[in-house]
Amino acid sequence: MTVTPSSGNPTNKESRSWLKSVLTDVHFWVPVLVLVGGLLLLKFVR
Amino acid sequence: MENPGAVISPIAAKDESRGRKLQLLGILSGFAAGAWLGAAEAPTKLVSIGVSPVVISLIMVIGVFLARWSLPALILGTSSIRADVGRAPHLILWALLAGCLWAVANTLTIYAIRDIGLSIAFPLWNSNSLLGILWGFLFFNELQQAGWHRWAGVLGGALVMCVGAAILAIASSSSQGPAAAHSLSGVWAALGAGILWGTMYIPYRKAYLTGMNPLSFVTFFTFGELGMMTALAISTLGVRPLWQELSDARGVMFWLMLGGFIWVIGDLFQQYAAKYVGISRGIPLSNTNQLWGMLWGILVFGELHGRGHATYVQVIGGSLLMMLGVGAIALSSATSKEQSRWRDAAQQESDRYGVAAEYVEARMDGRQATGEAPPKRRAVDWILIAGATAVFVGFARIARVPELSIHWGPALGLGAAMLILLVACGLAIWKTTKFN
Repeated sequence: MTVTPSSGNPTNKESRSWLKSVLTDVHFWVPVLVLVGGLLLLKFVR
Repeated sequence: MENPGAVISPIAAKDESRGRKLQLLGILSGFAAGAWLGAAEAPTKLVSIGVSPVVISLIMVIGVFLARWSLPALILGTSSIRADVGRAPHLILWALLAGCLWAVANTLTIYAIRDIGLSIAFPLWNSNSLLGILWGFLFFNELQQAGWHRWAGVLGGALVMCVGAAILAIASSSSQGPAAAHSLSGVWAALGAGILWGTMYIPYRKAYLTGMNPLSFVTFFTFGELGMMTALAISTLGVRPLWQELSDARGVMFWLMLGGFIWVIGDLFQQYAAKYVGISRGIPLSNTNQLWGMLWGILVFGELHGRGHATYVQVIGGSLLMMLGVGAIALSSATSKEQSRWRDAAQQESDRYGVAAEYVEARMDGRQATGEAPPKRRAVDWILIAGATAVFVGFARIARVPELSIHWGPALGLGAAMLILLVACGLAIWKTTKFN
């Protein structure tokens, strides 16, 4: 399926769709986990 | 019946030639990134008053924020950024995430230097290039079907650079006396910064495989950067003490913001390097910033003046190793087979996020997609540029001129080298891609 947001008004459905794509992308969770780890580490080293 | 080979061959040859051009562009961008990122340290050396490291970092990020909006507005115009976001809105989230990673990593380096000193901390966080190679291979098909000699060039080059960086860091920090009390927390902080920075390149590569323009990506990246840095500064100092420190530091704000501005120019080139040669090659190339930082320190600020023979041997040896590593990586550009694996990764991104394949393909080739309006600057862009310039001019007027011995000859020489790289690389990007 090809979504072309530029060709029409972005709808809530489209927003949900790209948000769902991000949240189900394993690539996304790697930086998120690293960020959480970094924040915990920062708390520890302070 | 037509022979398909007769039709395909010229197209394939054209694609290969375009691919080679973009690879060269990426390598040149990596070199320019190193020069400008390294020079960003120079203005911060002019700040000798007792400003807390977190506040120094925050002020630099404010300069970064202004530059990240005014430079893209000047080069392409914000309408182009809006159009990019319209095509791939999910990348806003990725850019914010990358900005947050940068801010936490940068803060960790402050604690790492405090606890274990620069000589140990720098090589530890510079290992981010090795992590970049891993993520590039695992997630984005980089170095796949690349052949063993390209693997050896990239991985071996990155390792040699790490050794060279370690030697340079030891040479540069021995003038600062013994490092602060060695502690495990400092080692963790430095390693953590390396992991955060190495992982930050996942969003970078993700953005460029999906076709986003680096100039658009950085404008959202900076919200994550400034937001997270402000939150960290407030949680460390509290609102009132932070405000007090900021007003006390207004005499040096210009120098720190200038450092941030120079850093953004380097980072923009780094983004183009990540786009055209991937993160496995782009990160090590831009890590040459340490070499440039060292040149500024030694030649302009006389940091090693009166030091022993051994220190100079370390500096020359470390620099040669870094150049050797850079040379190995620069000569290991991706083959057409590897580039076709990159295209597979881009196809996956395009399928997952529903971005038009033609747009992704065009942007990977550094050209405009069919039907894409040419970039145009509007009134809002000139307002942004004028606003950012006014802030810089305002702080420049109240800036204190530092009492520091500066060698102007080498400063002019290094400045000229940076400008030559800026013009050469900027023109090459313009000629080849029109900043697409």
